[in-house]
Amino acid sequence: MSLLPQLLFTGIGIGSIYAMVALGFVLLIRSANVVNFAQGEFSMLGAYAMVILLTGFGLNYFVSLGLAVVAMAIFGVVFASITYWPLRDRGQIPVIISTIGATILLSNLILATYGPSPEVLPGLFDGAGFLVGNVFMDSQYLTIIAVTAVLVGLQYLIFEKTMVGKKLQATSQDKEMASLLGIPVIAMIFGTFAYSAALGGLAGILVAPILFVSVGIGPLIALKAFAANIIGGFGSIPGAICGGLIIGIVETLGASYISVPYKDAFAFLMLLAVLLVRPQGLFGERIAEKA
Amino acid sequence: MKLLEIKGLTARYNAGDVLKGLDLTVEEGEIVALLGSNGAGKSTTLRSISGLVPHIGGSITFAGQSILGLKTEAIAKLGLAHVPEGRRLFPGLTVRDNILLGSSNRAGVSRGQLEREADDMFAFFPDLKRLEHAYCWSLSGGQMQMVAVARGLMAKPKLLLLDEPSLGLAPLIVQQVFRIIGEIRKRGTTVLLVEQNANMALSVADRGYVLEAGSLLVSGKPDELWNNDQVRAAYLGGLAASA
Repeated sequence: MSLLPQLLFTGIGIGSIYAMVALGFVLLIRSANVVNFAQGEFSMLGAYAMVILLTGFGLNYFVSLGLAVVAMAIFGVVFASITYWPLRDRGQIPVIISTIGATILLSNLILATYGPSPEVLPGLFDGAGFLVGNVFMDSQYLTIIAVTAVLVGLQYLIFEKTMVGKKLQATSQDKEMASLLGIPVIAMIFGTFAYSAALGGLAGILVAPILFVSVGIGPLIALKAFAANIIGGFGSIPGAICGGLIIGIVETLGASYISVPYKDAFAFLMLLAVLLVRPQGLFGERIAEKA
Repeated sequence: MKLLEIKGLTARYNAGDVLKGLDLTVEEGEIVALLGSNGAGKSTTLRSISGLVPHIGGSITFAGQSILGLKTEAIAKLGLAHVPEGRRLFPGLTVRDNILLGSSNRAGVSRGQLEREADDMFAFFPDLKRLEHAYCWSLSGGQMQMVAVARGLMAKPKLLLLDEPSLGLAPLIVQQVFRIIGEIRKRGTTVLLVEQNANMALSVADRGYVLEAGSLLVSGKPDELWNNDQVRAAYLGGLAASA
């Protein structure tokens, strides 16, 4: 029982990463109706960009971080131009297949360039952390939780309090009507891709000191973030955050109290349970209610 | 002065031609009614003006500028507001947010100014004031129509396109909607009104056009349309006769 606070801290830390990537998923679903299966690859690319800038070019940590995030935002626009824009009028399935294709291409490009050996990326702080009571506050987990909290707060302010946020919401709800009002729908969609890629990249950079940087980091994060979306309610921003945190906590507790080899299975067992009991997710609406 | 001039407008969907060489003008300060049966091409005319129909021909001039081929957002920025059939409110946003978004075509206006204009809109539509913070999915059809018109007016449009504003509303609410259209004219806003309820539309319009299968059947002042036997028989039904 004395382990519980420590496990909760770790679970919230890793869950914050899932929440951050899940937020990227949700934003694209809401603005462009795109389920982007390459969201995990954004994390992988962000982490590799950081490795190149920090250890390859020897730049300062914050300069590298800024450049990597900006590079990911630009990559998001390029990604949208290739995988989404040419297929935007052909329904959801072609775009989903296109993002799956991009996933395979990107991971194989990285594999061909860097090989299967993982790269090491240092964290923001040199110190390992500090003790609060019986809980060891790992500095990297603390950074992840703090950054996620700031981003969630910022996102809330943008979406609920600014005209840009309201225009983004309007675009997600009815693109044609948004354009009739003079809202630049194309800019809104490409902007969301840029933000989503930057968010995914940042998540990859933050989690890299814990998981190492490798080709496998993308699918690992993406699957959990996708499950977080479904648990929270598909397309729901609060749902993505809560879903991510729940998965992080459940898999950490499961690994500690039940079985380490089955750690990943707990997240998906949780997913199955939610689908059986509340298929619309924690914050989702029932389809019958939407009609 | 001509605010909108349409010459030889053709529009085509996959199923075939919907508009076949339509000519139409709207003078500044007028309310012009576009009448006709289902499938006559009324809504397609409005959608063509707003740049929503990809395959169109002819010419459309708005405020002295050709708008054929311009993007929908660019047309909105020129001062043209379109309140489409079915209201098309953003259901997950509040009444106030929907109204504020109507100003998206105007650049360089401060948030404070927009909030004040939204307050003016609640003064113009007092029934909406108590619903200011309600989500639009929770409103009745009549309330939704009021919000849709208020959102259109927030664009400070030179021309307001209203598509079937009375559709699906109770008779008392329809009267209220047309009273508001009359008020809008008093504010100096020009209106192009598409309506199946010919009786109500011609009661507020300065001129009317009657479409048949994508072509212009007849146009004129309301009295001239009331007295046209062909129009009365085919498009105004018994309503005109009883008026």
